[in-house]
Amino acid sequence: MKILDKIKYKIQDIISIMISEFSTIATSYAILLVLIGGIFVYGFLYNYMYAPNLIRNAPIAVVDNSRTALSREYTRLINAAPQVSVYTNAADFPEAKELMKKKEVIGIIYIPEDFDVRVNRGNESIYIMYGTTDAFLYYLAMQESSSGAMMAIDEKYRPEMLVFLPQQDTPIITQSKAISVVGTALYNHTEGYGSYLIPAVLMVIIFQTLLMVIGMISGDEKNTGALSIYAGREKSFFPVSRIVLGKTFVYCSLYFIFSLFLLGLMPVLFSLPNIGHKYEITMLMIPYLLASSFFGLAASVFYTDSESPLLMIAFFSVGLIFLSGVSYPLELMPWYWKVAHFIIPAAPGTLAFVKINSMGASMADIRQEYITLWLQCIVYFIFAVMAYRYNIKKCMTQKTRKEIGSFM
Amino acid sequence: MNKKMNRSIKDSAFISVLKREWIRMISRKLYFGACIVLPLFSIFFMATIFGSGQMENIPVGVVDYDQTATSRSVIRTVSAVPTFKVTEYYIDDISARNATQKKQIYGYLVIPPNFEDNLLNGNGATLSYYYHYALLSVGSEVRGAFETVLQTLSLSPIVVEATALGINESLIESFLVPINTQSHPLYNPDLDYSVYLSNPFFFILFQVIILLVTVYSIGIEIKFKTGNIWLECAKKNMVIAVLGKILPYTAIFVIMGIFANYVMFGVMHIPFSCGFWPLNLTTVLFIIATQFLGVFLFSLFPAISIIISIVSMVGSLGATLSGVTFPAPFFFPIIYYLSFLFPVRHFIEINQNLLYGDYGYAYTWQNVAALFAFILVALLLLPHLKKAILSHKYENIR
Repeated sequence: MKILDKIKYKIQDIISIMISEFSTIATSYAILLVLIGGIFVYGFLYNYMYAPNLIRNAPIAVVDNSRTALSREYTRLINAAPQVSVYTNAADFPEAKELMKKKEVIGIIYIPEDFDVRVNRGNESIYIMYGTTDAFLYYLAMQESSSGAMMAIDEKYRPEMLVFLPQQDTPIITQSKAISVVGTALYNHTEGYGSYLIPAVLMVIIFQTLLMVIGMISGDEKNTGALSIYAGREKSFFPVSRIVLGKTFVYCSLYFIFSLFLLGLMPVLFSLPNIGHKYEITMLMIPYLLASSFFGLAASVFYTDSESPLLMIAFFSVGLIFLSGVSYPLELMPWYWKVAHFIIPAAPGTLAFVKINSMGASMADIRQEYITLWLQCIVYFIFAVMAYRYNIKKCMTQKTRKEIGSFM
Repeated sequence: MNKKMNRSIKDSAFISVLKREWIRMISRKLYFGACIVLPLFSIFFMATIFGSGQMENIPVGVVDYDQTATSRSVIRTVSAVPTFKVTEYYIDDISARNATQKKQIYGYLVIPPNFEDNLLNGNGATLSYYYHYALLSVGSEVRGAFETVLQTLSLSPIVVEATALGINESLIESFLVPINTQSHPLYNPDLDYSVYLSNPFFFILFQVIILLVTVYSIGIEIKFKTGNIWLECAKKNMVIAVLGKILPYTAIFVIMGIFANYVMFGVMHIPFSCGFWPLNLTTVLFIIATQFLGVFLFSLFPAISIIISIVSMVGSLGATLSGVTFPAPFFFPIIYYLSFLFPVRHFIEINQNLLYGDYGYAYTWQNVAALFAFILVALLLLPHLKKAILSHKYENIR
């Protein structure tokens, strides 16, 4: 019976911690603001911002010094490419440069005077493409459309070039076929920027807002001395671990709902890639939310009041996307950032989510990330308990110091 | 006489606010962390994260169903491309696809069965390549490299045939590709990622820190009910109070900003077209404008616990709205115009002009003016901030 009573007491303890944690969250404007603003407003806003997804009809200038049927044909072809549209073909080169400086065009196609003459003479004719690199997407758009137009016009003029080859050889050459080359984009059927970035952003939003909320709560606890109600627990591991568990339970159950919104609803509303299996996403979110909560609680050693955590957390959102290896390949980063990838839960979590959600990976395919997350859970749980033992101890010494101060 | 005295009172008020802030600043480790450690960390992060900055040796795979001399020569040609490193040979499509799913490779080439036969018989052979577009930035590099190498390769049967017939090589070339192109990525000829992103992204991280520190340093006065002392120190002059408060931070941030520029352009040798002064003056102006945006946002609703979470979200939006990754004109119009409310957007516009072509002031004067406007707008709200501090209304909002 005694054991049963003990268990009962422990469960009651955890439940009372959960209730007080939940009421802290529910009664604080600031925390609710982070949750509503961070989860719901951000969820919609980021999707809306990247909804254009692709560069379409970016303005380019064509400097047509040739002014022949051929050059006009090329201009028409490049104008037909979806990525760009010809802003002007009447400009000379200095004018076109001026347009580019004013950011009215993103690049210049320069067609030289002898463009047509060279083709008619049986020589290779060359046009020059200049593209800005302000944004790599601009250059990509320029390159794709320029080479597409080039291939189209080459195919058309190749038969006419046959006359320049020795006549007895032409039948043989026309019979030999080129190898056809087919490229296929995997896992991103729109080939869009948003559909590549947003899934990663959603996971980082979950991590960052969770960290902020935990930071605001634990910072406030330290500032107001609210931890003193747990006095006496700091002496051993398990009573403090109940605090950590109680808090984590509240965070995880709240974020379960938020994840449903961000990872479940948003991809459907904004037609992001979501070929992942729901079961696998759920299985991933369990260690992800746990590890993030424990990580946040462990970091509470550094916080002194409810606002200071934001100073340390908010700036690094972009950095987390890089560390996840979604936007820049992990293989090319120096070793210390590869190590950092395994330390912060957001990095493997984001990568694993992109794998499941965008690439339809199975649990076996995310094995490395999944094991990393569970290891992080264990390590950060221990750290979180240690952090709270330290926090309570510090809170008590501060309190006694204050009391002594008031006696004096 | 009177005027002169007035002025000296003002000066002394300014200096006493400045001194007070300096003492507050060095008495808390938090400010050391937020103003010095985090910016230094950001500089280090953005300077090193891209490795060499070149996307090279990206792991790709090959599926060779053909297993002939021709297919092996195709593979040799592909592995010679610096962008790739052929790390793995797979026996079929499925295992290659699985490896892509595991992110072991970023793309793969499939050489179909009977490739050599079809090629030599003139039946038309096909090469297929697949690239990873869920990771678009890497995928587009892989795609570009495959396209370039395979395009040349695809014409090789004709070239071989023609050479055998004794046709001169330049003749074949102009037959196959009558119209050719030279592509020039301006300012960043190697399409180097650290040239493209290191500098703007440092300032994107930096602006979040600046905004938050500004809001925090002012807001904490209200939260800890020291606002009256602060105002008295400034002889009830709000402008002096705010300027004295943010000036120490401005100084530190400016040092950090210039140091960042030094690391990026001096140590990492990122090319830039302008000189020392325009580069760093822009940085200074950007820092001040961002600080005043912080003052403005805080003055709207001077309760730190509420506004600091809003400001941290505003700051994070800067990463997108700066238009570095996804170009701003291609956002929806409402987002495009919204982006002008962010100092970082103007800063990026000015900076790209300075770094890439140094076209001159005439092309960016609107952006410079906008950065100054942030200062003016913040000053307009100062009376409201003063009233808020004196009324003590906002002290207990949490």
